[in-house]
Parts: sequence; structure tokens; C-alpha cells
Amino acid sequence: MDGQESTGQPSFFRKPGPPGSPSPRRPVPPAAPPPGPPSPPPAYVPPPSGPAPEGARLSAVRHPIFHGSGGTLFGIHVVNVLLILVTIGIYYFWAKTRIRGYLSGQTEIEGDRFAYHGTARELLLGTIKAVLVFGLPILFLNMIRDVLDVPIVLKMVAGVVSGSLFFVFFPIAMVGARRYRLSRTSWRGIRFSFRGRVWDLIKIFILGSFLTGLTLGLYYPIFLVSRQAFMVSHAYFGSEKFDFSGRGRDLFGPFVVALLLTLPTLGLCWIWYVAFKRRYFWDHTTFGGARFVCRVTGRALLGLWVVNLLLLVGTLGIAWPWVRVRNIHFAFRNLALVGTLDLARIQQQAQQAGSVGEGLSGFFDSGFDLA
Amino acid sequence: MRTDWPGVYLDGQTATRHPATVRLMREALEISPAGGASRLWPYRELRQTQGYYAGEEVRIERGGELPETLLIPDSAFLESLHEVAPGLRLRFHDPRQRRARVRWTIVAAVSVLAVTAAVYLWGIPALAALLAPRVPIAWEESVGRSAIAYMAPPERRCRDARLGAAMDEIVRRLTASAPPSPYTLRVYVVRREVVNAHALPGGNVVVFTGLLERTRTPGELAGVIAHELQHVLRRHTTRAVIQDASTGLLLMALTGDVTGPLAYGLQTARTLGSLRYSRHAEDEADTEGMKMLLAARVDPAGMIDFFDTIGKEEGRSPRALTYFSTHPLAADRIERLRAMAAAWTGTPEPLLPDEDWPALVKRC
Repeated sequence: MDGQESTGQPSFFRKPGPPGSPSPRRPVPPAAPPPGPPSPPPAYVPPPSGPAPEGARLSAVRHPIFHGSGGTLFGIHVVNVLLILVTIGIYYFWAKTRIRGYLSGQTEIEGDRFAYHGTARELLLGTIKAVLVFGLPILFLNMIRDVLDVPIVLKMVAGVVSGSLFFVFFPIAMVGARRYRLSRTSWRGIRFSFRGRVWDLIKIFILGSFLTGLTLGLYYPIFLVSRQAFMVSHAYFGSEKFDFSGRGRDLFGPFVVALLLTLPTLGLCWIWYVAFKRRYFWDHTTFGGARFVCRVTGRALLGLWVVNLLLLVGTLGIAWPWVRVRNIHFAFRNLALVGTLDLARIQQQAQQAGSVGEGLSGFFDSGFDLA
Repeated sequence: MRTDWPGVYLDGQTATRHPATVRLMREALEISPAGGASRLWPYRELRQTQGYYAGEEVRIERGGELPETLLIPDSAFLESLHEVAPGLRLRFHDPRQRRARVRWTIVAAVSVLAVTAAVYLWGIPALAALLAPRVPIAWEESVGRSAIAYMAPPERRCRDARLGAAMDEIVRRLTASAPPSPYTLRVYVVRREVVNAHALPGGNVVVFTGLLERTRTPGELAGVIAHELQHVLRRHTTRAVIQDASTGLLLMALTGDVTGPLAYGLQTARTLGSLRYSRHAEDEADTEGMKMLLAARVDPAGMIDFFDTIGKEEGRSPRALTYFSTHPLAADRIERLRAMAAAWTGTPEPLLPDEDWPALVKRC
């Protein structure tokens, strides 16, 4: 798989160094943008051979690098599991926080690592609140619908209400989890943040679901893009905003093709659709003067997933930490941030964020994480 | 002892890296950024957030919500820190402990295996045995109602009165000598070729005509029904639900967050895990079913003969014979039943002596 990826790709998609190897670190920080003429078009610049001259660094191709190893992650995981078993599950929140802290701390871009600032206490409290505010009403409604002996009309009403609460809870969970995770993540001491309003996402969900149903699913890719646009374009790093320029109709074609090819390819064509979607989402994400470039291919994704599946099934899930590291390596190998980064003008602008949405997203278990 | 270390200072307000020299002192760190005023960081105001693993730089933070940060690439810095300022082992990691940490991780791994095995082998069955009797019969009956609609759809049920009366008589005879139970026990005969029978929660047993027509005597069928009735009376379905949910929780604890393809791996593990429990339930239904048969003074030879013939046929025509795919036949199973029958000193009383059994089972 590695061999395939190095062919037919822009040359700046190099292979990562061995995990744990120190990254090249420049001696002097970029205090100011480089003087001189405006930087050349960012994409497809040939990789600098050897150490680049100082200053050219600001307009460059940057790859995230993951230094962590499956073995260390497994060690953390083993201790976590023991403590979870011994505490009948309560340690789960501490375990989650430790894993996140490790993964953040091993992720590097532009010579600096990310830091995770979330605490287990926050997660625990967020989950308790989510259970009280969201879990109990849903449980009660479902009990009316399925178990209790009440008139059929009441059962139907309960079913409709619990079904439509989904339109509220899912956006709350998505926004809450993203807000929490970003606000607890920093790079060079500057926090990320998410400033989208839940109500706007609820509107996107209601409209999107309605039109998706009306068009028998054909509207779904457009719904997906509007969701992504909302999630990306409200994310900030300090004072600098992320932007998303994708349009739903661009995803519509591949979606329809995948739909038509589902039967002849036994559904495998959807892997290529997922790869296209991932490329499209990243390629239309920008940050200041820089943009993301993603080179995931369906074939590579298929290879990754097949091996992951074999690893997991073969080891009954024990290989989970290695699979997670494989996924991260794969994502980073195929991702680059290309263009000018004007870090000097970025200011700290932290936002308040509670952990209830994060707790709620735990129920849906849909991995809203920033993949 | 080295006291001066190169590091990077982040002010928490901008993304600018300030290279700095860090000096280790008795009570504090002195940070001197290049070209800036130096500052003093007392140890008791600091916390270390990274640098616990090999290849990770040391990260020290000071302040509340938006801390100032100090990054020191060389983890040997920590070793010197502990020499200069002893008594800070709770606040700062010591890289020399990493070797011990590996040992503790191995101990933890062994403990996880032991705890998991204990929970799986004893904990979960004990929990199921404890909880199952406390589940209301009404719940089992509501589950059984939806199951019977699927397993025995009305248009496939055998409505022959004479056969129905024979089924009722077998159930009455089997339960007459058993302790009273809260269940309303009933046997449904369903027209399907498959050679199998199922116990549904809440008291219903489904026998397919494929199996019924293979029985040569009422005693053979009584053996099958006694086995299935024990599934009902011992609440095996409810136990299976509890065991399956607990196994799921155990696996969740073992694997962390379940997303994506991991769900497949988990499902495999869960299915494998449930095999042991279901085998145990089958063994129990066999033993208790045989006891029930003997208590009702039904000739135990019928049950043994039927299992024997079905077991021998299994290899030849596997298509319709699903009985042993849901009732796995361990080699010692029939032997154990034989031993129980041989130890029995009672005299059998005939079951349904006035019926022409081969003709009766064809009435559907």
C-alpha cells in the first residue's frame, strides 16, 4: 500500500519518518512574515531539497506528523482497562482523557505539537448532565412507545416526539462536541474554538432531512456539504478563521454514480465515494492564506480498511491501538497544509465551552472527533 | 549537574515561539527569553502536561484558563530538576521511572486477563442467575408474543384438535410432578420442513412438523418438549439477554471507544463469547429435562433414541436438520443422558397409550 501511494502523487506527499523520530526544528521562530515579493502559488511546489532557507518556511507545504506508537498506546490502554474494570466503569472518563492527551501530544505540525486541555471531571459532569437532560426524556418516551400499557394514540405521539427530538439532539451533540474538543485543544499555546450556533445547525438538519426525504435521498450529498460548511466555517484558531468553499452540487455527481454502481460493485464503489468526499472536504478547507490538500484514494482506503478489519477480527479487537495509529498515519500521510501562514497576526481568543454536548455525543457514539 | 537548558517560551497570547534559557533553581525555574526580561516560575505554581513518554518534549504550564507554556525538548531536564529540587515527584514526571512503568503495564495486562476471565466465567453467569428471576414474567410474555408472531405465524399453525389435545396432555403429564410455575405453558405445532423446536420466553414452545414427523413414539417427542420447557422454566432467554448485554459492556471496557470497523471485531468476539453460555444452557436443559421426564414417569429411552437417530442422520442430510445447529451435540451429551436413565429405579408409565402416534403426527 505504501508503495502505491508514492506513485502518481504530487511529490510533496512524502512518507513520514519513523515514528518517534524528532522532526526538523528550526532554530529561530518566525517572528515576522518574510520580506520580499509575494510568495509563489502554493500548490505543487517542488519539495525543498535539504534544509530550506529561513523565511521560505512560512509559505510552504506542511504535513502533520504523528510520533505516537501503537505499543505505547496499547500500554496506556491496558492500564486504562484495568482501572475501568476495577472501578466498574467510572474510570472511563479519565481513560478517555489520557488517550486524547497522548494522541494530541504526539501530533505535530510546523515543528510544534498540539496539547489537549480537557479534564476527566468535565467529561464526567457533562455526561451526567446529558443523561439527566437528554437521556431520561428519551428513555421515558421510548418506554411509553414500546413497553407501557397505554392507548395506541399515546404510543404514536411518543414515537413521533422521540423521533423528532433526534433533530434537536444530534445537532446539539455535534456542535457541543466540536465546541468542547476545539476549545480544549491548543497549538503554540493558542486555543482553537468553535463559534457556530446550535440553532443554525438544527435548521440545516430539519431542512436537509425534509428535502432528503422528499427527493428519496438524492438531496443527501447537498445536505452533507451544508453540514460540513457549517462545521468548518465556524472553527477558529485563535483569532483566525477556517473557511469552507465546497458546494453541494459537486458531491452530487459522485453520489449518484456510487448509487448506480452499488449493485454491480456490491457496494464497494462507496469506498471511492468516501475517498472523494474526504478529498473534496479537505481541498475546500482553507485557513488564512493556506489551504489543505488531501490525496486519499479509494484504492488506498480500501487497503487500509481491509487490513484494519483483518487485524481487529483476527485479534478480537485487541489490535485496536495499532489500528488507531494506522488510521492517523494514513490520514496525515495524505494531508498537507499548503500556502502562507501568517502566524504573527494570530491572537489568543478563547471561548467558553461546556462539556454537555460532548457528553451527549457519547450516547450517539458516532465519533464526531476531528478525524 | 546541568542547570541551564534550552527551551521555548509561549506567552499564551500569541503564536510566537520565544527561544529561552531555562535555569533550574532550588524553589523555582528562571526563564530568560532571548532579548527579553527573565521571569521566575515557582515550582508549586507549575504543572507538567506532556513529556511522559519517549520522544515527547517536556511541557510545563503556568496559570489558569490560558496558561503560559514552557517547552523543553530534552527530557533529561526532568532528571536534573529532581536532583536540584527534590520532593517534586508528584508534580513532575521522572524519566527514570519509565522502566518501572513498563513492568507495571505488564502486571496490569496480566491482571486484565485475570479479571476478564473471572468476570466471563463466573461474574456474568452469576449476575444473570441473580437478575433473571427478578425480571417480571409480563416482560418475558411481551417478548414471547412478538417472537411467536414470527416463529409461528397463524396461517402456519396446526389447528388439528386431536393433535392439540395430545400436546396438552404431554405438557400436563410433564408439569404435573414439577413444582408450580407462574408460566402458562403451551406447545404450538407449526407446518415447516425443518427438524427443530424452539422455546420462546414467556411459556410457549414451537415444534415444527419436520421434527414432529420424525418422532416414532410420544415418548420421543416428550423428551424434546421437556428439554424446551426447561429453557422456559430456567429463563434461559432472559439470562441470554442479560449475558449478552454484560458481555457487550465487558468488551466495551476492553476495547475503549467503539467506532467504525471495530464494531465487526467486537461482534465476532461477542458471538464467540455467547457460545459458551448457550452450551451451558443446553446442558442444563438436557439434564433438567431428563429429570422432568423421569419425575413424570415417561420412559427415558424415547428421548435418548430420538437424539441418537437425529445425531446419526445429521451427517447425511444436513439441509433440513437444523436441530443440532441450535442444539450443539457434544459427544458426551447422550452418554450423560444414558447414565441418568440407567440410574433411574422407577417404572415407566405409558404416555398417550390410546393414540396411533405415526398417524397422529401426519394429521397436519
